[in-house]
Amino acid sequence: MRYLSWAYLLALFAFILLPVVTLVIFSFQDGRLPVPPFKGATLDWYREILTDRALMEALGNSLIVALLSALVALTLGFLAASGLARVVLPGSVVMRGLLIAPMTVSYLIIALGLLQMFNKVGIRPSLLATGIGHVVINLPLCFAILYAAIGEHQKSALKAARDLGAKEWQVLWFVAAPMLTPALAAAFFLAFTFSWDEFIIAFLLTRFDVTLPVEIWSMLRSGLSPATNAVGSLVFLVSVIVVVALELTLFRKGSK
Amino acid sequence: MTADVHIKAVEHRFNAFTALHRVDLQIAAGEFIVLLGPSGCGKTTLLSIIGGFLTPSEGQVLIGGRDMTHVAPKDRPTTTMFQDYALFPHMSLRDNVGFGLRMRGVGRAARNAKALEMLEMVGLADKAGRRPHELSGGQRQRVALARALAVEPDVLLLDEPLGALDLKLRRQMQEELKAIQRRVGTTFVHVTHDQEEAMAIADRIVVMNHGRVEHCGSPEEVYLRPRTMFSADFMGETNRVPVTPSGGGVSSPLGPLAIAPAEGMLCLRPENIGLAEGFSLGRATLVEAAFYGSYHRCHFRPLAARDMLLTAHLPQGAHPGLGDEVELFGRNPVVLASEAA
Repeated sequence: MRYLSWAYLLALFAFILLPVVTLVIFSFQDGRLPVPPFKGATLDWYREILTDRALMEALGNSLIVALLSALVALTLGFLAASGLARVVLPGSVVMRGLLIAPMTVSYLIIALGLLQMFNKVGIRPSLLATGIGHVVINLPLCFAILYAAIGEHQKSALKAARDLGAKEWQVLWFVAAPMLTPALAAAFFLAFTFSWDEFIIAFLLTRFDVTLPVEIWSMLRSGLSPATNAVGSLVFLVSVIVVVALELTLFRKGSK
Repeated sequence: MTADVHIKAVEHRFNAFTALHRVDLQIAAGEFIVLLGPSGCGKTTLLSIIGGFLTPSEGQVLIGGRDMTHVAPKDRPTTTMFQDYALFPHMSLRDNVGFGLRMRGVGRAARNAKALEMLEMVGLADKAGRRPHELSGGQRQRVALARALAVEPDVLLLDEPLGALDLKLRRQMQEELKAIQRRVGTTFVHVTHDQEEAMAIADRIVVMNHGRVEHCGSPEEVYLRPRTMFSADFMGETNRVPVTPSGGGVSSPLGPLAIAPAEGMLCLRPENIGLAEGFSLGRATLVEAAFYGSYHRCHFRPLAARDMLLTAHLPQGAHPGLGDEVELFGRNPVVLASEAA
């Protein structure tokens, strides 16, 4: 029984990690195709992509879009969550539902809707348009995480702050935000990685300046190459660093 | 530093439910008032209305003579000590206590000095740099008190602050609260459902039930001369004997009793029934007795009314044997008119 559960665990990890491991291994392939057999290790492909200007520009664009759209989604989500947690308005339930609703809509539909709307109001496909699209998909996520994090304990601390003379912005800045730091960080990093990885919206809403997933897609059109594996490995590395950083700083502290 | 509170015909409704029915209450400056009642009696609603967390459906709240009915909590001369303390977990005790002053624009040095002074008052000056989670429940309680008093409110509102503490600590905190209140002179309005706590700390107790004030008076008045059956029962155990006037006294199931003629229910506290002194309650047999440390709790069955049971608290070592027949005497009789309801 014992061996069986270990075997199951190994199989599970293999299932989850094997594709990524293969991707990373063949990014070092000393040859033209990222397929077995493995012909030896080289860093050539990394050199190639790191000197590829279009790719590096796309990487920079992705970072900026992810950072800004995550910040905007976080701010809006935080304000909405603390507002709805504070007062019970007629229709609070409906408002919460509407805020979370975009989560249930596929990215493709959201992208199409945004494309048509941006056309109407005259916003050209661009990084700005993509960033707005990412706020649309990440705002419900940030709102849901933060709203769930505001419990009775937080509510009464906010009430105490108001009682002691704090203005509304002071309540948010001095009490709500510090008390919700773990949730704020979790929401921010999730929003960041979702934007960082997002393809469909970015594909439909960018034209000349593109984000990294879109750039990778156009690389893939010219066939498989260890270079795409190398890019994929770098993207994966960024996500891993974010998750590990989160694990080491916030979640450890939050579990006290 | 201190102000009187005047509650004028305050009525509060939550949708169809009326939590307060035209409550009138005058609280003098520097008074320690306890709002006492079972859960759902409206005491917390009244406290929230004084603190500004609720706006009454009708009526007015005056604090220090000024109309505060529609003023937000942050602009009122009141602060609240919350049931769950509501300390800020990310701040040191010093910053917690100094928070109100910071919001009033007081500089760091001045507010730290004041915070230390307040922490000193509650005996926690040596822990000023600690965070709330490093403290015990009783210590958090004290920090919450220091924080609420640091801004020198005219009125301090206490929302069942001692509910979460164990009995011994609660007694100790009651005494401390009382002492601190005398020292600072601030008006305290304290909510509780514990009648012993109310009697231990209050200058005046406001007994509430179903959104109305049942009785308002000093602990002695409320306990010894209750005005309604509800406050008689709520303040402590009572033996009830229905009486009707007859001649110079009253007649009852126990036989004629030598008290002032009145119609209604005779209420006698267990400690007011004894084996001597007062008016006779007739003979009764002891059916059960238990030793409670400071008294014996005894149940007597009157010979004249076998279906009745009188509970008496007799002094240590002075109770008859089980089944013995003795004559019982009552003191401090209170006769309440039977309630219409």
